[in-house]
Amino acid sequence: MQYIRGIAIPDNQNIMINVQNLCKKYKDILALDSVNFHIRQGEIYGLLGPNGAGKSTTINILSTVTLPDEGEVILDSFNLRTHADKCKNILGVVPQEISLYDELTALENLYFWGGLYKINRSELKQRASSLLDMMGLTDRKNDRIDTFSGGMKRRVNIAAALLHSPKILLMDEPTVGIDPHSRNLIFDVIEELHSNGLTIIYTTHYMEEAERLCDRISIIDSGKIIAEGTLEELRNISNIKESIHIDLTSIPDENSFKAELFSDFKITQHENSIDFFTTNSGRDLSKIISLLTESGHEISSLEMRKANLETVFLNLTGRQLRD
Amino acid sequence: MLSICIKDIKIFFIDKKAVMLTFLVPITLITLFAFAFGGIGAKQKSKPIYLPITDLDNSSTSINTINQLDSLSSIRIDKMSLDDAVEKIKKGKIVGVLIFHEGYEDSMGNSGDMPIELLYDQAREIEIGILRSVLAGNLYKFQGKSQVNDMISEHILETYKGVSPGMLDTIMTNIGSFYNKQNGPEGSAPKMGSSLTLTPIISESDDRNLGLIQAVAGTAIMMLLFSVSSVGAGILVEKDAGTLKRLLYSPISPVHILYGKMLAGNIIAVTQLSVMFLFSWIAFGLNIWIDIPSMMVMIMSTAFACTSFGIFLASISQTEKQVDSMATIVILVMSGIGGSMIPLFVMPEIMQKIAVVSMNYWGIQGFYDIFWRQLPFTDVIIRAGVLFSIGILMTAISTFFYRRNILRLA
Repeated sequence: MQYIRGIAIPDNQNIMINVQNLCKKYKDILALDSVNFHIRQGEIYGLLGPNGAGKSTTINILSTVTLPDEGEVILDSFNLRTHADKCKNILGVVPQEISLYDELTALENLYFWGGLYKINRSELKQRASSLLDMMGLTDRKNDRIDTFSGGMKRRVNIAAALLHSPKILLMDEPTVGIDPHSRNLIFDVIEELHSNGLTIIYTTHYMEEAERLCDRISIIDSGKIIAEGTLEELRNISNIKESIHIDLTSIPDENSFKAELFSDFKITQHENSIDFFTTNSGRDLSKIISLLTESGHEISSLEMRKANLETVFLNLTGRQLRD
Repeated sequence: MLSICIKDIKIFFIDKKAVMLTFLVPITLITLFAFAFGGIGAKQKSKPIYLPITDLDNSSTSINTINQLDSLSSIRIDKMSLDDAVEKIKKGKIVGVLIFHEGYEDSMGNSGDMPIELLYDQAREIEIGILRSVLAGNLYKFQGKSQVNDMISEHILETYKGVSPGMLDTIMTNIGSFYNKQNGPEGSAPKMGSSLTLTPIISESDDRNLGLIQAVAGTAIMMLLFSVSSVGAGILVEKDAGTLKRLLYSPISPVHILYGKMLAGNIIAVTQLSVMFLFSWIAFGLNIWIDIPSMMVMIMSTAFACTSFGIFLASISQTEKQVDSMATIVILVMSGIGGSMIPLFVMPEIMQKIAVVSMNYWGIQGFYDIFWRQLPFTDVIIRAGVLFSIGILMTAISTFFYRRNILRLA
């Protein structure tokens, strides 16, 4: 273990972000409760959790907008409390909202946001131009933002965070409400940034995004990190390998599956569909079908799924990510 | 800070509606108020007061008095029947009518009450007040002169019984000439005793027009307050749009975001006031070139105080709508008591004392000092100093509330 400015850093690792014992309280609500994690340089680190879990509070603290009540954050050897200005210069933040000026063109927006980082004018022009090219928006650079689609705005929103070539990029749900084309383009951009060695924190409640993009993921719920690791490590933590998704012909009584009959399984029910979580679907499938038939339910369709982040989250918290 | 200021100015000028509200609406209002306060045409002379008269006595004395009134340049006589006059007063077509009742001539000899009456519409008491002040001096003077003439004639006839009518006329003409020589052709105020001589120290001239100055200064400051309140609300718009949060992610100091916005507001406010005065010069001939340094200092201090006020409103509000509603109420009250809507000199004394709490008062009085009183820079700087102090105080309070309310919510 090594120490930078009194904060413990794991040995032999090029740590870019180290968060220790982070706590934040809003009146009586504990938004963050002793959060600890570290991120290596060049990693994409996913913060996965439902709304209100503490993702945005973590991002707000890391981006220096909110001060923590307790705990320390080191960004590339700079302590956030004592060197906020230095931290700001190495951070790029893609906010959840499209934070652009509708009245200005894409290029004017980028010049303005880049100008705040005191980037040399000619360098700024070059950066803005290449970022718009990367985002596939060169032909729209002189159009006002209010003429752009949601997906195009999201892309400019990301470009604005990259103008000063940050070492760390915080992305707070950057794909909310956009079309599949823009989403894929953003994924490509993130993968390109990743291959260039940029350290990224990515918050989302879309499991497929986290699964596709993130090297490591932490699952946060009620202000606490309840699990952390690669997708495979998380699957192992949860001890669930598969799920059996069953659609019924009618909506069963809400107490139907609370009976002792089904006590061997972890179950979630949504109207007329039920998910059974199992470590061995081959062994449990016939038992589940016969239990359902015996209790008078008619099956309309059945699907076996490999465990994903959704099932892991469900297994760890008993709730769905989008609850 | 400068980046934010330039960005805000750019966005302001892109927004055609905002530009129109900032420049065209005040220009329209200034034009209307200039007409209302009689400020149109600085070189135009005052028009004579219109005075309808009904002569029920129809005597040589009443006709003589009416003719003398008609000879005054400040009064324009119009004879009409009593019924006509009453009807016109009721319909609001005339303010009032001066009636010479029967027995007017007879009353002149016995020094009793004169049967003269002024019928008028009470709703137009201000106009009647002006008419009364003009009539009071002249009418009684003519009557007094006539009475003195009669008394002299009687005295001569009693003392010198053999005086022929021709000789009496010659004596009276000589006395009349002597009187006119002493008191002026229109029988203006006698040198002593009989009336007060009014001599204005500051009066309307080619480069001074009180109504116009009131219209321009009063309206421009009121409209400026409206435009800067929306500039101030811009910070809440940024908060709602999420751009304020993004600004906070950048290395710029949070207070500099506020000051950048204030700087933009100040530049827009100075431009707005300058355009208003230029318009008044081009359209109405207001001489704005009397004292350029004083005018610039007053424009800058007024702009600073008003912008700080706009930012102050935004800093104590949580939404743009709150700013709008609060601004409308506060600006209308301040403009009402500060003399933007109604000139202070027609307000009661108590209102004139209350007016000092309004920014409008200090701005308007400052522009009066320059354009009407034509005071030196050293006097103007006092009013400007008050406005700068108001601005500094408001900015300090705004900074405190901005940190407490806006940054926390961002």
